[in-house]
Amino acid sequence: MTNRERFIKALRREPLTGLVPTFELVFYLTMEAIGKVHPSQRIFSQWDQMSAKEKEVQFADMADTYILTAEKYSHSAIFVHPNPSDFDSTIRILESIREKTDDEYFLMMHGDPTFSIPDGHRMMEFTTRMYEKPDELKKSAENRLAISIEFAEKMSAYPGLLDGFALCSDYCFNVNPFFSPAMFEEFIAPYLARVIDAYRSMGYYTIKHTDGNIMPIAGQMVDCKPDAIHSLDPQGGVSLTEMRRLYSDKVALIGNVNCGLLQTGSEEECRADVLRSLKEGMAGYGYVFSTSNCAYTGLALERYEMMIDLWRQFGVYT
Amino acid sequence: MSILEEISGALQQGRAPKVKELVAQAIGEGLQPKAILEDGLIAGMTVIGEKFKINEVFVPEVLIAARAMNAGIAELKPHLSQDDMKAKGKIVIGTVKGDLHDIGKNLVKLMMEGRGLTVVDLGVDISAEEFVEAAVENEADIICCSALLTTTMGEMQNVVELRNSKGLDGKVKIMIGGAPITQVYCDHIGADGYTADAASAADMALAFCG
Repeated sequence: MTNRERFIKALRREPLTGLVPTFELVFYLTMEAIGKVHPSQRIFSQWDQMSAKEKEVQFADMADTYILTAEKYSHSAIFVHPNPSDFDSTIRILESIREKTDDEYFLMMHGDPTFSIPDGHRMMEFTTRMYEKPDELKKSAENRLAISIEFAEKMSAYPGLLDGFALCSDYCFNVNPFFSPAMFEEFIAPYLARVIDAYRSMGYYTIKHTDGNIMPIAGQMVDCKPDAIHSLDPQGGVSLTEMRRLYSDKVALIGNVNCGLLQTGSEEECRADVLRSLKEGMAGYGYVFSTSNCAYTGLALERYEMMIDLWRQFGVYT
Repeated sequence: MSILEEISGALQQGRAPKVKELVAQAIGEGLQPKAILEDGLIAGMTVIGEKFKINEVFVPEVLIAARAMNAGIAELKPHLSQDDMKAKGKIVIGTVKGDLHDIGKNLVKLMMEGRGLTVVDLGVDISAEEFVEAAVENEADIICCSALLTTTMGEMQNVVELRNSKGLDGKVKIMIGGAPITQVYCDHIGADGYTADAASAADMALAFCG
């Protein structure tokens, strides 16, 4: 069974034997881990000036970066961040990964049209629009939805390249969601449900990510029918056991290893947290092991590698 | 219902024009401006803060209430004496060096202003030196440091150490907050206070300034 097939089985909440699948939304530590700059960190100021041959070498090198990372840490899925991000370059980087690895890995990329928490400067303006110009805001949500669906339709003309979309608009702080449940129902859920439905109709899987305390809106997120929910942020008080109890018959669960603790905790604390996540996550199927965010710039690589070592030892379905 | 209760209620509903109208009416009726401020506007924001802490209201509801408060204060300001406007305390706030996230910081600022504190916003990417210099320059009671990243939160310890080295530890409190921050970390670096949410941060700041 390929890693891709194992990942899909997890998304479908089907029984698995052997290692529970793992991956990261982003693994930024490529320079330290495999001696290559992460593709999203590369700046191609003279891209248009490059010969076709040089562009091909660049695509191949970026593809190698993703593949070597996945191989080194036995990831089942690769989150591709196309760079450059135009459509043709997106197709080419996906093709390059497929050419080198066939269908070994599940390939996903960004695709979330829903509104996320606005930044500090836009919070008031966004909120005012919610209260005073809700129809205008909904029109904007419709436009964003249409753009995402149009992109997926273009992508679907290239079958076999992309397996799914990660929907990464953040909705929640540690203490609670930005949007009240009523606001989420009005301004987010309808568009989230529609984009997921559209992606599914084209054969794409969907992973909905958000940091923070999702519990007040988790039911609504699940009702939008993503294949998986990612992050399950312990810093936001999200319990993998509770999520499993409430929703594991409807959605796969991904994440929950405390990524903050990986940086700030003692080795013993991190080890305990990883083992807790594995135990709670593997209480059933439909689980993918990962950090509660990503392997971010500045994270000590040895902590991530400790996490993966524990996964290799204890992340096995018997 | 008294007009002050009406002001508080309209503020909680985020009805800025109504708050402005009621404040003008209260002034016209001869109510003390300080009472309008304390028992109408700040009282309303206090209720919002309490509800926020127990997830009864969410950030947009806080923001829209703050906007209503600002509308009320704009109406009230010409009638407030220097004494009425004396802040309950002065805070300098910023996101630490290397960190450009400002959502949490802005929420804390808003909650503190809503409780009658004066807040000097230093912005993002603020070094320990900038925090401490601003605290001295503004005669602040509290330095508030925000961080979203585990990789930048270490700067908070630099702020604490610099404050202490300047002999300000008995004079200027340091409060910290942000997604990766915990009470354990607060204790570890010797900061004076940590809260998990913006409304509690305003409570703590008021207690420090009291």
